[in-house]
Amino acid sequence: MLRRFFYRQFRIASRVSWALARQLTPAGRLVVGALLTALVFGPNTRLTVGYQAFTLLGALLALSTVWALVPPPRLDVRRRLPRYATAGETVIYDVVLRNRRARAVVGLSILEDLEDPRPTLADFTLASEPHESERNWFDRKLAWHRWVWLLARNRRLDVREHTVSEVPSAGEARVRVEALARRRGRVRFRGLTLARTDPLGLVRALRRLRAPDTLLVLPRRYPVPDLTLPGARRYQPGGIALASSVGDSEEFVSLREYRPGDPLKRIHWRSSARRGRAVVREHQDEFFVRHGLVLDTFMPRGGEPRFEDAVAVAASFAAGVRGQEALLDLMFVGPQAYVFTAGRGVGQLERMLEVLADVMPCADGSFAVLHRLVAERHQALSGVVCVLLAWDDQRRGLLQHLRALGVPALALLVTGADQAVDADELASEGVRRLVHDHIAEGLAGL
Amino acid sequence: MMGAALLFWGWQTGFLVAAVAMAAVIEARSLIDVRWDLSRSDFNRISDVSAVLLALIAVYHVLGNDSARAVLAILQWLPLIVFPLVACQLYGAAGVLDASIFLWSLRRRANAEPDYAGMPVDLAYPFVALTLLSASAANVRSGLFFVGFAAITVWALWGVRARRYSTPVWLGMVAAALALGWAGQLGLAAGQRALERMATAWFVDYLGREADPYRATTALGQVGELKLSSRILLRVETPTAPPPALLREASYNIYNAPTWYAVDAPFRHVTPESDGATWRLASRTAEAGPVTIAAYLRRGKGMLPAPNGTVELANLLVVELASNRMGAIRVEEGLGLVRYGARYAGAAADDPPTRMDVAVPRSEAHAVGRIAEDLRLSRLARHDAVVAVRAYFRDGFRYSRFVADSAVGTTALADFLERTRRGHCEYFATATVLLLRAAGIPARYAVGYAVHEWSALERRFVVRANDAHAWALVWLDGAWRELDTTPPDWVEAEREAVSRFTVGDLWSWGGYLFARWRWSEREDRLTGSVGWLLVPLFLLLGWRLYSRRRIARRAARGPTAARAIARGADSAFYDVERALARLAFPRAAAEPLSVWLRRITSAGLPDVNTARLPALLALHYRYRFDPLGLADEERARLAAEAGSWLTEHSREPR
Repeated sequence: MLRRFFYRQFRIASRVSWALARQLTPAGRLVVGALLTALVFGPNTRLTVGYQAFTLLGALLALSTVWALVPPPRLDVRRRLPRYATAGETVIYDVVLRNRRARAVVGLSILEDLEDPRPTLADFTLASEPHESERNWFDRKLAWHRWVWLLARNRRLDVREHTVSEVPSAGEARVRVEALARRRGRVRFRGLTLARTDPLGLVRALRRLRAPDTLLVLPRRYPVPDLTLPGARRYQPGGIALASSVGDSEEFVSLREYRPGDPLKRIHWRSSARRGRAVVREHQDEFFVRHGLVLDTFMPRGGEPRFEDAVAVAASFAAGVRGQEALLDLMFVGPQAYVFTAGRGVGQLERMLEVLADVMPCADGSFAVLHRLVAERHQALSGVVCVLLAWDDQRRGLLQHLRALGVPALALLVTGADQAVDADELASEGVRRLVHDHIAEGLAGL
Repeated sequence: MMGAALLFWGWQTGFLVAAVAMAAVIEARSLIDVRWDLSRSDFNRISDVSAVLLALIAVYHVLGNDSARAVLAILQWLPLIVFPLVACQLYGAAGVLDASIFLWSLRRRANAEPDYAGMPVDLAYPFVALTLLSASAANVRSGLFFVGFAAITVWALWGVRARRYSTPVWLGMVAAALALGWAGQLGLAAGQRALERMATAWFVDYLGREADPYRATTALGQVGELKLSSRILLRVETPTAPPPALLREASYNIYNAPTWYAVDAPFRHVTPESDGATWRLASRTAEAGPVTIAAYLRRGKGMLPAPNGTVELANLLVVELASNRMGAIRVEEGLGLVRYGARYAGAAADDPPTRMDVAVPRSEAHAVGRIAEDLRLSRLARHDAVVAVRAYFRDGFRYSRFVADSAVGTTALADFLERTRRGHCEYFATATVLLLRAAGIPARYAVGYAVHEWSALERRFVVRANDAHAWALVWLDGAWRELDTTPPDWVEAEREAVSRFTVGDLWSWGGYLFARWRWSEREDRLTGSVGWLLVPLFLLLGWRLYSRRRIARRAARGPTAARAIARGADSAFYDVERALARLAFPRAAAEPLSVWLRRITSAGLPDVNTARLPALLALHYRYRFDPLGLADEERARLAAEAGSWLTEHSREPR
């Protein structure tokens, strides 16, 4: 009840502050702040002359606002977005503005309209800010910090305002936009706003233009060393047919008699002529390295930053497989158990990164599902990289099971800096710890 | 602009000395190259100093002040409080502040996360706005505030104007805003006055009564004991003569049991003399005084007790003063404690009596008329009548703080006159006034305080709440004279009722001394009292920061950096370089001299002798970059060799 009330208030407050930030220039915001202060301190015209400041500032704002009622002219907008962006890195793209009018348009700036970052009530109620339990009672009840954190989390792209000096008459202007991709996932552009300040430089006239677009932000990736799991190459049922999307392996083993169903192109004509019956070439059954990449999506409450780290670690391994002669099975549990295979031309590694860009924590599943999924596939796997979010009996059980099955596993546990862990036990189980904010160092030390 | 805003603030609030000093510090930044490399903890400390200052000033103002005034007083001090932060921003190497210095939660975060990026905050423009708003709290109503505020605002707006519009458009808009703002402020002030008038009218209609000082409800007819506290309200000092026995607050002309009303006595504003602290109330010459009275005012407003016939109030530091024709003096706008010297004539210079001053209400006419008849007042001369009335009350009446229920069918006053003959001062005063009026002698009812208690502790007279008194004013020989018919033992009776000297008196004395010190600020503002306490604080802060030895020359990037580069700029090698560029080929961008020299050597140009150049370059490099520099002789050698190389090559035909 109370939470719902706060949620509504926060929604309104965020909306108002967002709208003010768009509508007012920094000078305008200062004027509004001074106006409100004058209003607070000077309502009694006998006690102070603050009301004189109030009326002057009010007059300035009023005139600017009236001026800003006329929006800038309509322009055609097109974005030239790259295919992907990467979390934590700057993405550069072009916005092309086309002016169909006979007069040049000057003094504009452009603001991107991104998806509303305000969380849903369910998100707000269920989410938990990192270290929220350490906050005082009031902050925990009010949950303003949680709101701010959710807003920041949902904002996938930071785009500054960019100025456009001139859009020539019946011509185009190209604006090079620099933005910072903050978080993996899909950035949805709703449109673009053209802004133009009034002569006093306080209020901006805005025109919203529709320009929907999507940009996929891939997870942050760290350099990882080559996987050197002690596992052997495994027989891959389905052979190379699975691995090399089209065609058979060219590794010749021997000749054998034709069996019905053998493709004609496999007939070795010279030998057939010599023997007088059809002989076909036999090819090597495929044995090669196939790794499992197990991503633990069962996020403990407040573990969001660590989950992001875990996804980044998984993405780093996925990207590291590039060029290696190996297959990689990404296994995780989302709304359902999910396996995605890439490598040796089977699936694009980019696709795997796209999958990782969209992976969400699993709120209502059991780790046993993931355990089963990995166990089912153990025969094909040369080794497994497990990226874990917690250390408990279930996770220990998975590692012990894999070891019993003879599948070597590299287990990486992503923890917070101040999280207590039993280092000896982790060492005895062969689990490597990666600490939040020091993931790159941890991976480099593998 | 900050300097201008500060000066404006200082001028308006009276903190001019501090304002000039602060403006000088701020504007000197363009002359001083030094910037301090302040750490986060330094900023935190400065922020703490500001917070402590704010707390001290808040406590200082909230004590003995109502909240609205305290807020305004604190607002006036704010630029002084924020100044250390602004100065640190301006003289800090970073040029901005981090928001974490204001909030504990952010500070904690900044401490917990070593690579916390922070939220940079630029205080410069907000400080200007704050300074201007603080100036408004000084309430200088000459119209100059608007002018100054507008001038600085327009100055600030000039910097942020949209450049694509022409200056006339901008000027037009600014002019329109100024006109609108000026008209708006006039309208707002007029609006408030109209609203207040309407509200007062409604209130009066609603209650059906008028408020003080137009009426005084007496306790006439109330059963039981009159209870008043012994809290000290006034302090009275006279240089030599004994103080006046009575200090009047107001007088009234119409009685309608149990209330006295001051009818037809509106207040009129009094204009101070040129010193702003002397207020002449009547044109007569003073015969006595000055008597110095210290009184507390609630919310800076209230009635001023003064001796009968007060002609002039001196050293009264209030903003607005008003008086009415019946001698009441009211402060409309002032401080929490006022201390003033009253000079007075023997008799009141209030307006002469009207027919209202001889009116006896019908309800009391019967009893009063009969006694007047018994005393044959109407047949006596005025002076004799007054003497007779005085004698009448002295002989047959007793003072009593306790009043029993009056008999059925009579008024409280009639009961007092005819049956009980006991009562408190309101009975005596009211009865006296009505008796005199019944004899055709104009009389008024006056309330105020009796001055009789000498405080050995304070070495002055003190007046307590239970010294509140009522008496009559009688029109004799063309002036209003006091006639107090309450038996003199009332003082003793009151004294019995409450213990006179208590710990509370000590407390009250302490409170008075504090209030006196506290309200004395108007006399000398910052230069006098607390302001000087800030000076050592700022000095200490400055010394602490300075002694940290973290002085960074304004930047390894600004003009100083240019000077650093300038070291060795007079090297003779540069002439060689120019000649080489001409003789061989120019140096590529970002190509070190040594590499370029090797390139020239390997090119083997016939006109260029490069044999001596590496040694020359080594010297040049040392001159430019060696922290120890070159010895004089080495510099001379550099110059000489470069000179000889140049001479050699200038002779070579190109």
